[in-house]
This record gives sequence, C-alpha cells and structure tokens, in this order.
Amino acid sequence: MNRHVVPGNAGNSNGYLLRAEGITKVYSDGTVGLRAATVEIHPREIVGLLGENGAGKTTFTKILSGLLPPTNGRVVSPEGPVRFASPREALDFGIGMVHQHFALVGTFTAAENVALSHERPFGLIRLGRTRERLQKLMQESGLRVPLDVPVEKLAVGEQQRVEILKVLSRNVRLLILDEPTSVLTPLEVDELFVLLRKLRDAGTSIILITHKLKEVQSVTDRILVLRRGELVGDVKTKAATTERLAQLMVGKALEGDTTAVELSADQLPQARARSKKETKGDSVLHVADLVAKGNTGDIAVEGLSFDVRGGEIFGIAGVEGNGQSELVECLTGLRKAVSGAASIKGTNILGRDPRAIYKLGVAHIPEDRWRLGLVLPFTLAENAILGVHRWKEFRGPLSFLRWGKINRHVRELMKRFEIQATGPSAPAKSLSGGNQQKLIVGRELAKNPAIVVASQPTRGLDIGAAKYIRDLLIEMRNNGRAILLVSADLDEVLALADRMAIMYEGRFMTTCGPSDLNREQIGMLMGGVARKEVVG
Amino acid sequence: MSDNDVKTPSKLLRGVHRTLTGLHPVLESLLAAVIGLLIGAVLMYIWGFNPWKAYWALLQGAYGGSYEWASTLARATPLILTALTFSVCVRAGMFNIGAEGQLFMGAMACICVALFKLPVGLHLFVGLVFAAVAGAAWSIIPAVLKITRGVSEVISTIMFNWIARWLALYIAIYILVDPSRAEKTLSIPLTARFPILVRGTDLSYAVFLSVFVALVLYFVLWHTTMGYEVRAAGLNPTAARYGGIRNKRTMIVSFVLGGITAGLAGATIIMGNPPSYAAFGGGAFPELTGAGFDGMAVAMVGRNHPIGILVAAVLFGGLNAGGRVMQFYGSNPVPLEMVRIVMGAIVLAMSIPELIRLFPMAKAQGQRLIAVLRRKPAPKEGSA
Amino acid sequence: MNWSDLLSLLRIALHAMVPITLTAVGEIVGETAGLFNIGLEGILLISAFAGAIGAELGGPAVGLLIGMGVGAAIGLVFAVINTYWKGTQMVTGIGINLFAMGLVAFGLIQLGAPGFRAVPRAVQLIKWKTAMGAMSPIILVALVMPFVIHWFIKHTRAGLILKAAGEMPEAADVAGINVNRVRLLAATFGAALAGLAGAYMSVAWIGSVTKDLSAGRGFIALATVVFSGLNPLLALLGGFIFGFFQGLAEWVKTLPSKPIPSQFVSMLPYIVTLLVVSGAIGRVRFPKALGEPYKRE
Repeated sequence: MNRHVVPGNAGNSNGYLLRAEGITKVYSDGTVGLRAATVEIHPREIVGLLGENGAGKTTFTKILSGLLPPTNGRVVSPEGPVRFASPREALDFGIGMVHQHFALVGTFTAAENVALSHERPFGLIRLGRTRERLQKLMQESGLRVPLDVPVEKLAVGEQQRVEILKVLSRNVRLLILDEPTSVLTPLEVDELFVLLRKLRDAGTSIILITHKLKEVQSVTDRILVLRRGELVGDVKTKAATTERLAQLMVGKALEGDTTAVELSADQLPQARARSKKETKGDSVLHVADLVAKGNTGDIAVEGLSFDVRGGEIFGIAGVEGNGQSELVECLTGLRKAVSGAASIKGTNILGRDPRAIYKLGVAHIPEDRWRLGLVLPFTLAENAILGVHRWKEFRGPLSFLRWGKINRHVRELMKRFEIQATGPSAPAKSLSGGNQQKLIVGRELAKNPAIVVASQPTRGLDIGAAKYIRDLLIEMRNNGRAILLVSADLDEVLALADRMAIMYEGRFMTTCGPSDLNREQIGMLMGGVARKEVVG
Repeated sequence: MSDNDVKTPSKLLRGVHRTLTGLHPVLESLLAAVIGLLIGAVLMYIWGFNPWKAYWALLQGAYGGSYEWASTLARATPLILTALTFSVCVRAGMFNIGAEGQLFMGAMACICVALFKLPVGLHLFVGLVFAAVAGAAWSIIPAVLKITRGVSEVISTIMFNWIARWLALYIAIYILVDPSRAEKTLSIPLTARFPILVRGTDLSYAVFLSVFVALVLYFVLWHTTMGYEVRAAGLNPTAARYGGIRNKRTMIVSFVLGGITAGLAGATIIMGNPPSYAAFGGGAFPELTGAGFDGMAVAMVGRNHPIGILVAAVLFGGLNAGGRVMQFYGSNPVPLEMVRIVMGAIVLAMSIPELIRLFPMAKAQGQRLIAVLRRKPAPKEGSA
Repeated sequence: MNWSDLLSLLRIALHAMVPITLTAVGEIVGETAGLFNIGLEGILLISAFAGAIGAELGGPAVGLLIGMGVGAAIGLVFAVINTYWKGTQMVTGIGINLFAMGLVAFGLIQLGAPGFRAVPRAVQLIKWKTAMGAMSPIILVALVMPFVIHWFIKHTRAGLILKAAGEMPEAADVAGINVNRVRLLAATFGAALAGLAGAYMSVAWIGSVTKDLSAGRGFIALATVVFSGLNPLLALLGGFIFGFFQGLAEWVKTLPSKPIPSQFVSMLPYIVTLLVVSGAIGRVRFPKALGEPYKRE
C-alpha cells in the first residue's frame, strides 16, 4: 500500500491502525524521554494522552510523526513495521501532527502555507488549485479561515484552524494535537471538540495531548496516561474517574494537597491562607485608564483601571494573549504605554525604566523565564544579582563586584528557597525548570519589594515546585505585600487571589471575588461573553 | 530535562568532569590551529613546497631563541589589542569588524605628537591618549548609527574601515607628511617612543601596554558592574533590559572600549616600531594593514577571553614572525602570505561549534554516503 | 561636464554596477533562505584570481566558468559548515575573507609578480561596440538576473520553499522540506553568482588581478542587500547607485583640474553606502531565522 512499509514482517490486522512496540527514547544528554511504551491506536477513536510536563507525551507523538527517531522499539501498521525518517514521510503515510507552536510561516497566507506542504519543489505556484481544494475541505469539515491573509495577522484560534486544515488536506488517518486547548477560550475549545468528534465519525483517529483532566474526559474514547516516560495507564474514558486519572498521572497523591492534581475552587491552599484575618493595607499600585499597544501595533490594553493593595493578591485570569503580557510590561518599564496613568504609592511609573521602577519597590517574576528572567549561560551567582547588581553590598570601590559577598548571598538564597544546584558557579542552564524559577522568585523576593508582579509564575513547573512558589506568594501576601498575579491557569487564580479580574481583549470583563461566580460563568467571561448576559 | 537520571557518583568524578568541560574550549582552539596548519601544509605540498621544512623554519623563526621570541612578542603586541577590540564587542553581542579603521585613526592621531615638544614620558603618554581618543571617536559613530538608525554594525564598521583608509592616506600625504621624505609621515620624536626592550629587536615596552590593557579588560568584564552589564546585554538583551540594564549604554561602552584598544594598537605600531617610527602613506601603510583582521582571528582562537587572547596572540605573532623567516629559508622559501592562509583556515575551523564532535559525525555521514552509493539502507543515526 | 563625459561616466557606472549587483542578487537568494554570508568579499577575490588563470588556460568563457565554479565551491564549504554543522555564519565569513586574502596574495607571488597579474588582452572577454563605447556583455546578465530571481522567488514553488526555509524553518521541516539542503543550494548558488562577479572583474572588466581587487565590493554588495530589503529589483537599482559613485570617483581622478583630492573621491562610494543604508533601514523586514542555524526541537 505504501513505500514506507518494510516488507516481510506482515502483522495480523486485528483492527488496529498503528501499534507502537516498546518505544524507548534516550536523548543525547542521557535523559530518558520514553521507556518501552507499547500502545495501539484503533481506527475511529479519540485517544487522550495525559501526563504532566516532561512525562513524555510530546516525545511519544514526535516519534509517531517522524520528528524524532526512537532509540529502541518500532512502530507497526497492519501491513508491517513502518519507519519515518521525517514528518513528510509520516504525512505520506497518513499521520499528521498539529504542534503546540504552530508550524506556520507567518508571512505566508493560509493558502501558501498549505501549498508549501503539498507541492513538489519544481514548477510554478498554483494557488488557485490549492484554494479550491481548501474551500471544499472547509465546507466538509465546517472549519472556516480566511485564505488570503498572512497568518501572522490572524488570531491564535484561527491560526490553529489553519494548522488543522493544513494537516487534514493531506487526508490523514491519524491526527495528533499537542495541547490544542491551551491557547483557546472555553467557547473555542467546545468548537474544537465538536470538530474532533465529527472527524472521528468520518473515520479519522485522533490523539489529543493534554494535561487537563476535564477536557480529556469530555471528548476522548480512551485515555493513555504517561508518567516520567512510562505508560502507566490505558483506560476506557467511561470507566475512568477523575481521581483515578489524577492518581495515575502524578503517582501517589501528595498527602492532603490536591493542588498536586488540579486546583479546584473548593479545595484550596487558600483555605489555609485565608485563616489569617484579612487586613487590607493601602493601595500600593494604582492604575488608571491604561492603554498600550502590542507588538503588532494594535491596541492590546484598552483603558484598564485597578488598584492593588498591601496584603492582598489581585489575580488577573484570562486566556493568554488578551493583553496580560503587555499590561505587565507597561507596569515594569519594559513597554511604553500609549496613555493613562500608573503609580506605585503615588509615584508615577509610566515612562520610567525598569531600574527606576525596581527602586520604587517592584519585583517582577516574568512570564518567560528563559527570555526575560535569566541569562542562561550566566552562572547561578551572576543570575542572582541581575537587576540588583548595583546594590551597595555587592559593589566595592571603582564599582568592582564583590564576588565573595555575592556568593555568600547566593548560598543563602539557595538555602532559603531550596534551589538545588552544585553551587553559585553552576551555569543557570544546568538547573531544572523548577530550580530556575525558584532562583528568579528568590532573587525577586530578596529585593524586599512592596509589590510583586508575578506573571505565569508556575507555568511549566512540576507539582512540587509550583506548590512551593504558590505558598511563597501567599506568605508574601500575609506579610503585607501587594501581589499582582497574572495567570492563564484559572484554577491558580481562583485558589490564590483575594480579588480577581477576568481579562479579555485588553479589557476586564469583570472584577470580583474568587467565589462570586461559578466556573461556567467565569469560562464564559473569559470567552468574551458580557457579564450582564452571564450573570443574568 | 527536569529529572536527569544519571547522577554523578562522587565529588571527585564531578571535579574531573568539570575540569574536562573547562578544558573543552582550549582543546577546540588547539584542534582548530592544527586543522589550519594541516590545510596550509596541503596547499604548500600542492604548490611544490616541503611543508615540514617550512613549518620547521617557521617554528625556529618564531620560538627558536630569545631573538625569535622577541620578534614574536613584537608581532603579538598590536594583535592583542585589536583582538580585544573584537572580543569586547562580541561579549556585548555585536560584531565590530572596524578595528582596522580605528587602528588607522589611532595611528594618525599619535603621529600628531611629532608636531610639538613635551618631556620624555609625558610625550609618550599624550600620544597614547590621542590614539585612544581617535580610535574611540571613530568607533562611536557606528554604535550611534546602530542605536539611532538600526544600521547593522557589520556593514557600517566595514565602510568606516575604507573611509578611514582613504582619510589616513590623505592625512599622511598632505598633512603629517615628512617634508624630506614624501613617502612617509613625520617620525615620532625620541621623547615619545616606546623604549626598546630587547636590544637588536623591534620588541619595545609597548608589549607591557598590551598585556596591561588585556588584564584591565579582564577585570572590567568579569569584576565590575559595567562589565557585568555588558556581558548580560550581550548574552540576553531582553533579560538585561528586565534587569534594569540600559542596552544602548552597554553598546556604546563596548564600542568605546573597543575603539580605545584599536587606537592604542595603532599607537603601539607607530610609537614602538623601529627604525622609522612613522607610517608609510607611499606604500599604502604596509605596517598598519592587516592587524585589524588578524586580530579577529586571534580573538576567536582566544575564545574572546582576554587571557585566552594573550595566548592566542603569541601563536599568531609567532606565525607572523616565523613566516618572515620561512620566506627566506634557503631551498624552501614559502611566501609570508601562507601565514594568512593558515590563519583563515584556523578561523574557518573555529566557526564550527563542537569541532571535536565533527569527527564521528563526518564518519557517520561518510558511511551514509557510501551506503547511498551502494543503494543499501542507511545505518541508523547514532544516539549522540 | 559635456555629453561625451556623461556617456563615459554612464559606461563606467554600468561596468562598476555588475559585480555589486550580481553579488547582491546572489546574496539575496542566500539570505532569503536564512544564510548570511559575510565572506562574499573573499569569494570575489578568489574567483577573480581563479577566473584570470582559467582565462589564460582556456579563454574567457572558461575563465568565467571557473570563477563561478570556485565561487560555488567556497559557497558550498560555507553552507556545509553553517547548515549541517551548525556553525557561526559571521565567523565562517571572516575566515573566508582572511583565507582569500592570503591565498590570492600567495598565488600572485607564485605566478611571478607579487601583487599584480595582468590578464592578456587576447583572453579577455570581448566587449561590444555600442554608441556608448565598448560594453561588456556581462552587463546584460547583470541587468536580467535580478528580474529572473525576482520572478523565481515570487512565482515558483522553489521560491516559496526558499522563503519558508528562511522565515520559519520549523514549518518547512514539518512540510517535508529538507531545510539544510535548501539552504545549502541557495548559499551555493548565491556564491556562484559572486564567483561570476569576481571572474567578470578580472576577465571582462579591469583585465588584471591585484591582491585588493575586490576593494570592499563584497561588503558594498551586503549593504546593497540591506538597502534592497531582499528585493532583487531594488538590488539592481542599489548596484547602479554604487556603481555610479565608483564611476564618478574614477572620472574625477582623470580630470586635469583636480577639484578635490582623489582620496576623498575614493571615499565617496562608502560614504554613500552608509548614507543610503542608514536612510533605508527601518522599513526593511528580514527573514526571522536569518543567521540562525536550524536545529530540530
């Protein structure tokens, strides 16, 4: 049937589409990404692939889709073993993957992007034909996207649809989606799931990678659970309970702490934190009518006004890309505001540079720790003084750096914030993600700030580290500091915040207490449904 | 990435591991040098020379005795400074190809001391200041163009090299010309010359200046807040901005530092170079040409680290000094230009990261090629 | 300035345009695919030398072909280092330049005359006699090539692939395109054009090889690429502007009155380059992955 089948070893076709046999992946640095995973994918089913960060979900699917060669093991189709040397070969076989970071050329239109993956290298571009085919496909699937606009001008949800369309146009038998919902609003998620069911009923198998339990339960037929590179569960969705899945995913549940699994509104670390009598201080951060542009030049923050007081956590929830990053960058001096006002304890901060703002008592835990928070080739010590390197304790005559004092300071940080590393001279890139984030948090909290601006502080961290950092934020709050928490993780905001706002397209849909609305209402607000309609 | 199962068993092993990874860059530089010399040898062989004899002559001429060492160090003196120019800017995240032009301006500026009289020592010092200021001034324009107009510093510094060359020629021919000998500029007066260090050679006290500047820059880069800011901005400009570092400032700082060292390089050539202590505009500056570009090679082999540069400069100075001997070596005279070829090949080799890794890779690729030729399935890619 | 002066100025300008435009157009192909080759200067120099030898051995056509071949070979080395071996493009380019300076100077010495070698009239490419005087046929190539490349990038599938490799190699990879191979071909082709430009200088234009024959033209071509924003048609215009100023400098030197010292006239093309580039930048958008080696994951 096709040329990728290695002849000879014909398997018996007992109804599977694809069988992964004992797949093992060891990366060149010795990390084991996947350990002897054996999995069958059947026709017409949606398989959920569940696991934490680093559990091996992406490794597994990259091997299936030809991006990575397995170290050991093989993939078998009913016709015999298959081997893909590239994503193209996997596509030719009928396996297509939609990556978390879209594989789209931003300057190309949707039609050009599709044409790129279709056409052989020689000859002229025939966009007309591609467009016709896409139009037909869009009608069949119900997916709609503009075909002649550069995709970088499209919204993230639309880009994802272009990506799915691109893969579908290759008549795939197996569609793999890597965390497709993380960039979507709840409404868009529902639309996507409707589409996935439709595709399944039309005969396509689907693998859905996610770490969200509710999603995986709502749409899949079968769930595979990975933990630390090992396949630990293969269960029918109908037979699985949330608790069982959660247990499989994280191993034994951390005692008495459900943050480990998925924070839910009624079981909070906050319950513990709230026990402290609420004594709200004065306003530390005051923002009025703030307007800012995004990188593309469009308005990203549209006239926000709010206060953050000492001793409270003000949480901003919302799907990423709704102006949260721009807001944080304005408040920390990394972006110029168009208009409006922002002040720390009455001193204006707009238009001042990050150093001046830090001196006013602002600590900033940035959302992207590799791009903003750390200089990765620097050592731990060098990173630990980023931003505070001009402190008097660290600076001798002729602005010589006092490495002795700095190293002592770093050792203290390492002890206080439980940073696992060989020492102050270890390069930052040798640290694990959790320890890198602890280093940043430790550095920022050591500034003894009046306000902490924490942007996605636990993204991509393992459970222990995330919990640790959440506890630190609560401790800071209890010490009377103001905290502005921006997170795409709704459960995190619900669990930590004293007051919260929901951000959509540069505006707050509402400002409320974390228990004023139920999850469905919040979900609708995050998707842009006006509060009046939601609350009734 | 988060959980690496492989744990180092003991502290001792960890120490050994660290030493090896620490030595890694040194080994790679050495390997690159060897590859460059091998390519040179092949070319010499093709052209009918005996490479071993030539390299023997080169080695003798470079490190064979105290006279040879002096000659090597004299060649290394300006190279150290121009290499620092390049590497300070690389540390700040920019490619400053303009050492050549900055060196020309520095050289012209220091010749100006011939126009007035000052006491011994002070005269020399004033000349150095002139050179440093001229180099920095010439270097600051590309930095400003980059900051204000976004002009790539690679393009602008190269254009400034050519402008500097023509400007220096004009100055040498029309302004600072020696009235008695039109092909050269005025000579540096006795009071402003670097004293000769080893009699009978052209090694002057200028070499101490170069070493001193290299040490100073080491301390600036690794032990002051300014150097810290420059390195942070070079490695991750966004994170630097987040840390309150003004990137525009670090750009200017690095270009000014680079301009100063390049200007001083010009001064060491003119003020420390017997017997004429002058620049030859008539010959389009043979004594000044090339130091800027060779400096880049030195910087790369020295891994853009001031201490590494000192070592690499001895190697390249040796190539230059030995090359002069090699070209007159009895039955086997290889032209001096061969040294340039070797330098180019060394830099080419340096541009390949993880050079050592290439050997198994090349082997695997070769095997795959053979397999393709034989129409057999390719061997599986190695796990590395 | 009278009519015939103007014509001769135009003639010089057109001739001076050729190497810059050809090199720039070649570099546009390479940069579109994501490779930035600062070693063009060295490629020009070596191919001028190789072209001259080739012409002496087998006539002008052989000279031009050998120039192209040598250019392509160096381009291939550059490309292999910076695709499969993930090298640092800037450093490789500097290495090529150093290597070329040494090799050509060395070669000239080995051929007898240090620093200079004339290409005999008989083996130079003939020039067409036109109303404007003797014109090299390569000028036609330089006039046509930008249009060809422009069409190629805009309207062929290969052009689409080229752009994808430079803009978003990950996407190209997923689409089944061998990014490294595309880049390799693009950079090699670009260097072949630079090789043609180099051979043109020695075989069809100046008629001699010196160790600084390229005189910064490779770098000016890089500036032209920046000026053009990767549009080959603008590279033609840019090449002409730079050629014109070089021609102007030559022309002023021949004037008996010497209105300004020749050194300042020689500076002009470089100053103009700077002015044009500092005026042009800001509106230009370059491929996102330009200068970055492509690594999976």
